Amino acid sequence: MSPVPRDRGVLIGAMGLEDDARVDFARLRAQRRAKVFAGMETHHVDALMLGAVGNVRYVSGARTLGRFGVLPFAPLAVVVAETARVHVLSTWDEGVPPEIGRDQLYGMSWNPVKLMEALAAIPGLRQARRVGTDGLTPTIAGLLSQLVTTAELVDAGPVMAAARRIKTPDEITCLEVASAIAEAALTALDEALAPGITERELLGVYYEHVSRLGVPYPPSESVCFATPTRGPVRYRHLVSDRPVGQGELVVLAPGALYAGYEAGLARTRPVGESVPPDAGKLASRCARGMDALLAACRAGNTGADLYRAWQDAGNREAPLPLAHGLGLGAEPPLIGLGRGSRAALEEGMILCVQSWVAEQGVGGCLERATVLVEYRGSSTLTRYERLK
Amino acid sequence: MASGNGSTDRPAAATIGGQAIPDQPDLARMRAQRWQRLQHELTTRDLDGLVLLGSSAVTYATGAEMPGHDGDRAALFRAVAVAVAGDAAPHLYTCYDDGAPADLPDDHLHGPLFPDLDDGVDQLAEALGEHFASGARIGIDHQTHAMRRGVPGFEWVDAADVIAAAKVIKTPDEVACIRYAQHLNELAMVDALRALRPGVRQIDLSATFLRRAFELGASAGGIDPIWQVMAPTRECGPWTVHGDLAYPTVTTDRFLRHGDVIWVDAGITWQGYVSDYGRTWLVGAKPNNRQHNQFRRWRIVADAVLGILKPGVSALQLCYAATEANDGVRPWIEHFYLAHGVGTESAEMPLIGTDFGEQFDRQLIMQPGMVVVLEPVIWDEGAAGYRAEDIVAVTDNGWVKLSGSAYDPYGLGA
Repeated sequence: MSPVPRDRGVLIGAMGLEDDARVDFARLRAQRRAKVFAGMETHHVDALMLGAVGNVRYVSGARTLGRFGVLPFAPLAVVVAETARVHVLSTWDEGVPPEIGRDQLYGMSWNPVKLMEALAAIPGLRQARRVGTDGLTPTIAGLLSQLVTTAELVDAGPVMAAARRIKTPDEITCLEVASAIAEAALTALDEALAPGITERELLGVYYEHVSRLGVPYPPSESVCFATPTRGPVRYRHLVSDRPVGQGELVVLAPGALYAGYEAGLARTRPVGESVPPDAGKLASRCARGMDALLAACRAGNTGADLYRAWQDAGNREAPLPLAHGLGLGAEPPLIGLGRGSRAALEEGMILCVQSWVAEQGVGGCLERATVLVEYRGSSTLTRYERLK
Repeated sequence: MASGNGSTDRPAAATIGGQAIPDQPDLARMRAQRWQRLQHELTTRDLDGLVLLGSSAVTYATGAEMPGHDGDRAALFRAVAVAVAGDAAPHLYTCYDDGAPADLPDDHLHGPLFPDLDDGVDQLAEALGEHFASGARIGIDHQTHAMRRGVPGFEWVDAADVIAAAKVIKTPDEVACIRYAQHLNELAMVDALRALRPGVRQIDLSATFLRRAFELGASAGGIDPIWQVMAPTRECGPWTVHGDLAYPTVTTDRFLRHGDVIWVDAGITWQGYVSDYGRTWLVGAKPNNRQHNQFRRWRIVADAVLGILKPGVSALQLCYAATEANDGVRPWIEHFYLAHGVGTESAEMPLIGTDFGEQFDRQLIMQPGMVVVLEPVIWDEGAAGYRAEDIVAVTDNGWVKLSGSAYDPYGLGA
């Protein structure tokens, strides 16, 4: 295997290949860690205590149990600059990369006092002067001030966001694999879509398909909804038991994770024969909005350029983000919902870009893509045929 | 329905605070009663209110449904609940307005806040300014740095204890929700167990289970389902910091092979309430005598606990009963517990037999409305072991079982 294959297609699979043709995860992790340590030096941060799922994964590469929802802060990974070591909350070594030794694991505790005792034993942590965290609780803030009495607790955000914003080539490959899995899920949903099937059943189809592809744990369960041909049309996030009706436009929006990296994709499909006459017009409006946003996705532009492109394409304020960052899950910037006008687009960022339009009497139409921001434009990592 | 009511076994006798556990929960009544419990805690602790950012706490306070989202997506697009002492309803700030309860007053439903972003923290400060006077004493479950910078002027105290105290006692409607979530989980597991055979991968079981769970009516997934293959000895399993068993490890495309002992653990949610399915399965084989004995022993331990479980009994007494029934060997894993509560979180108070220690367990007294997931582990070095979970609600007189009583492929002939 040459170090850089001419046909990148060989990289887009999840199977282990004997020639190590695909993502070199040891290299991926080493490059991530190097960016974190460099950021700690730049921002004069001696130690990090991280609890956010993406941050923990970024610094450690540990496979941890997937769970939905967000929990209050707890220190699940610790990075110490002086020793250049990453410590992980894991009671066992399965799922922990080899560069993190057994002596760098601390076990799970229900009792925060025990957790603090484990943290106190981490070499170099108690001597840290500036400790970055990605959240706090009043209790943990109190306990930490006893643990590292001289330390100033600062925001880990500048270090972690800077490291995560620009993707390495290996990270981009992971995002391409996730994109391909999302495309596979969209095909499965597309094939199952027929009058009478419920949104709930479609969610079941989605889950079954991505699980068999090796990603039982999806980024989001908000993957499909039918839009009504009569009355107000609004974006819905939760599946219902309602059967999909003839002529309705149905949003199919599956995401996927690969090694923690998230890709998102959405297309809208008409169901059955009696499609509203204006569905084509709505689809064109959706596509125009999408194209305008995609054209604005290039290095040097800001969130304001996306807002402008969206409005110039004839759209009003959107009820969902025009774009947000992707990587190990959803990340900043958030552009839309009144936020992110000043967010700078940089080469190597990955964005989830989406166009949602709706019209009473027709329905709603969503297009979503996973996009790599480049110097003069952007590349769309997710590929799928559009609604015509 | 099994119950520990002594003289009477009729389900109608299973009451919590004199109220029967309904077949179908009344969700509006449930939300109202939870709100009363939270308000009571605010009064008791002299707090002006709560600001909640954690998913399960928001669900508890507001009844809001949210689509299942992975950690960082759930954080960036989090819903926020604000509870003001003395108010009639919670305020909900959410992207997911289709998940807001119908009975939430219009002026209490708001668009999303983004407490994780500096760009938007002024809206958060403004929103909190509408509900609280400067200097207000407010409980909070999670603080972002953007909030610490951008929302000055309040006295923050930890909301964890407030939430835990409200949640630890379930209303009869909450118990009905847990029972229904568990029922859906167990039905979906019938299909997964049917699919189990040599050559199936862990992810294939997830595929079958999750598809069926959603078809049946699950509202959301909870944790990635676990189908861990247990090595026959501790030495052959993953290395651990404490030398005890590793559990639960993460599902992969690992092939399940003839004779494997699988410890299954999965939770899906319904109306915000988590289920907890725990059983031991065998691949391509029926339990042998030694395995039947492991199950019998598990049943003896669980029954010893259930035999004394009723209001007034301490967690420590339950731990002693379990250990005594297992010939003096503590029948749970070092990093876990004999039992845990379940509700809007997969593990919540009461936590029984944890590293909080004996003094904590001595003071933790069972009360009507507590829901307890008993998960003793019988380890039989050389032949793996048996683990399952029985969910019971503590009632006015004893307990009532919320989980099913099939332990296939164990149990029959045991």
